Amino acid sequence: MELIDRYLQAVKFSLPRAQRDDIIKELRDSILSQIEEKEAALGRQLTKDEQVELLKKLGSPMQLASRYGKQQHVIGATMFPIYWKVLKAALGLAFLVQAAASVAMAAAGKTFAQSLSPLLHYPGVALSVFGWVTVAFAAMDFFGAKIQVSDRWDPRKLPPLVKSEPRKSRFELIARLVIQIVFGVWWLAGLHYQYLIFGPGIALFRFGPVWQTIYPLFVVIVLVDVMFTAAMIARPHWTQGRHVALLVMSALGLVVLYFLINTPEVFVAADPNAPELQELVKSVNYGIHIGLMIAAIVNVINIGKEAIRLIGRSFGRASQASVGS
Amino acid sequence: MQHMVEGSANNEVLENLRLELRRGCLILAVLAELRSERYGYTLRKALAQQGLEIDEGTLYPLLRRLESQGLLASEWREEDKRTKRFYRLSTDGKLILKQLSVEWKSINASLNEIL
Repeated sequence: MELIDRYLQAVKFSLPRAQRDDIIKELRDSILSQIEEKEAALGRQLTKDEQVELLKKLGSPMQLASRYGKQQHVIGATMFPIYWKVLKAALGLAFLVQAAASVAMAAAGKTFAQSLSPLLHYPGVALSVFGWVTVAFAAMDFFGAKIQVSDRWDPRKLPPLVKSEPRKSRFELIARLVIQIVFGVWWLAGLHYQYLIFGPGIALFRFGPVWQTIYPLFVVIVLVDVMFTAAMIARPHWTQGRHVALLVMSALGLVVLYFLINTPEVFVAADPNAPELQELVKSVNYGIHIGLMIAAIVNVINIGKEAIRLIGRSFGRASQASVGS
Repeated sequence: MQHMVEGSANNEVLENLRLELRRGCLILAVLAELRSERYGYTLRKALAQQGLEIDEGTLYPLLRRLESQGLLASEWREEDKRTKRFYRLSTDGKLILKQLSVEWKSINASLNEIL
């Protein structure tokens, strides 16, 4: 009987406190009834091995005890698809922010190790994002279940149908890739050999020193742009790729604009000793700064729109999936 | 190797579906058997004799759930020098059993047609 008591003790450990004694009493009776019946049939006491067999049929103590507990979950099946989409979007957004911070630090002339630091901190940031999103959805699920919001849904308030955008043909994408590479090489080379960009205008203007500071940023932009197009060629069904690419490129563009807006000399005069040219360059820089400001505002709006569209598409699909299920 | 993996996945699917199918049937069978008072062990034996094997790990938690839903009533009583918990259908349980039986017969008739 010692074996039975040890088994029941192990079961008791994992049972809900309020019902422990009651459940154990009932299980003990059931086990003893079985033993008595078997012993009566065999005409002898059960051996230890036979008792072991009997207990094995009941399942492990943890397994048996778990069946008495209520089914528990942090986020229920109804809320889970939306939670999963939001979690993925939030983790992606956090990565973009960390990557942009790394690029900005590299562009500002920080060392490689310092620049890499925001990206290296991503696991910690991701964990924190995961925690907060999970807590928020668990709370919504808990309070949602309490007030039974699901009973009050209105079909008229369902999200609009997600229209699938026409996919670009592979030929178009390859042509785009070639143009991107040619333009990228021309631009990166032109920042060093400025006559490639200014042409005859080289006699009047030069790039200001800031362009050399943010040169690594341009390298990153060209590479990211080419990589996104290559990814879309490799995965033509990745319909969200265009939105993700736009979002990433806009974010990187914003970093470039930040540096350009914060420098007084976007362009400098080719001849620093020509006062007329200095005046002209000053006027050009003034005009350029206004243009850069407008570009930055448009860029921020674009980032917001793309982020909302990307999350909205995810939400739309998740909601439709929930309704459909 | 791939066949083995697919085979074991199919077995798992089959086992899950079988459990799902049995779950509702067992509730109905337990409610029906408890029209007369029984304790866990004899209830299990009665079900087994009629071809419905059910292990303790499933039966006892089910009895508690049905009792917490008000479908069963129970009391501890001494029998054969041991205290046992006796279960029987409550008034609500009788009503629910009646309604579920109608539902079961309807599903059964439809399935017989479909299958």
